[in-house]
Amino acid sequence: MVGLVIATHCGLAGELVRTAEMILGPLPFVAAVEILRGDGPDEIRQRFQHAIDVVGQDGEGVLVMTDMFGGTPSNIGFSFLEQGLVDVLSGVNLPMLLRASQERSGRSLNELALLLRNYGQQSILLASEILTK
Amino acid sequence: MSIVLARVDNRLIHGQVLEAWIPNTKANCIVVANDEIAHAGMRKMLMAAAVPRGIQVIIETIEDSTRFVLSPDNSSLRVMVLFASPDDALHAYCLGLHFPQLNLGNLHRPQGVQQLGCTITLDNADISSLTELESKGVDINLQCVPSDRLRGWRSMIKKKIKPS
Repeated sequence: MVGLVIATHCGLAGELVRTAEMILGPLPFVAAVEILRGDGPDEIRQRFQHAIDVVGQDGEGVLVMTDMFGGTPSNIGFSFLEQGLVDVLSGVNLPMLLRASQERSGRSLNELALLLRNYGQQSILLASEILTK
Repeated sequence: MSIVLARVDNRLIHGQVLEAWIPNTKANCIVVANDEIAHAGMRKMLMAAAVPRGIQVIIETIEDSTRFVLSPDNSSLRVMVLFASPDDALHAYCLGLHFPQLNLGNLHRPQGVQQLGCTITLDNADISSLTELESKGVDINLQCVPSDRLRGWRSMIKKKIKPS
């Protein structure tokens, strides 16, 4: 199963995982990496490495989901990019994480990443727009 | 040339720069003066992709970055210059990139000897580069994001890190 690392500024990552687990129950092969203001790059890189090792232990690849393209969690995530093994998807939201947890089995890293990229974008909706359709 | 911000930040382009400093300074050009990333194709590409459209991005060596900023062709730009270390800032200054102020944003040294605020640790080489910049008339201050209070770096050198 593709492993998931949720990496964000501050406590968002841990809370996203906690929230998803409240809805779906315990999530296997999911880790949170939280980055605070005072953290040095080496320290952050070590935490990433550890998280990737833990959730990627069955060798099917790891998808790193970050809060914002260009932010430090993404930037450091990029240094782990490896084709077919580690990819980075930015702009994580709760629907994406829920979907990821349900759709992981039987999918390759690349299939899962593309599915979640599209699903994440589709999950952002404006109520008034739906009502006027 | 118009340098709206010269900053030491070992995260270079990241959230604080994109979301807080660009709107605050109204910079329309970001220059990352860094010898390592100038030659790191993939990192350079991803870093440039994070910058909003309409803002020019230059990621080049310290020498080429300095040349870019000093070029009369670019004199109308509002430039933000990012350095990964005080030594890089000093190098650029000595090449003619005369920023009047230097902002210390993020710098983490595992072998640091001084801690300034929560986001800056300095080693001896950093302190000597900053002292030299100061002797050249550069006003060096600490401000991680624009909403933080601006403080002179000297007033923050208090907390010595105990050798472990």
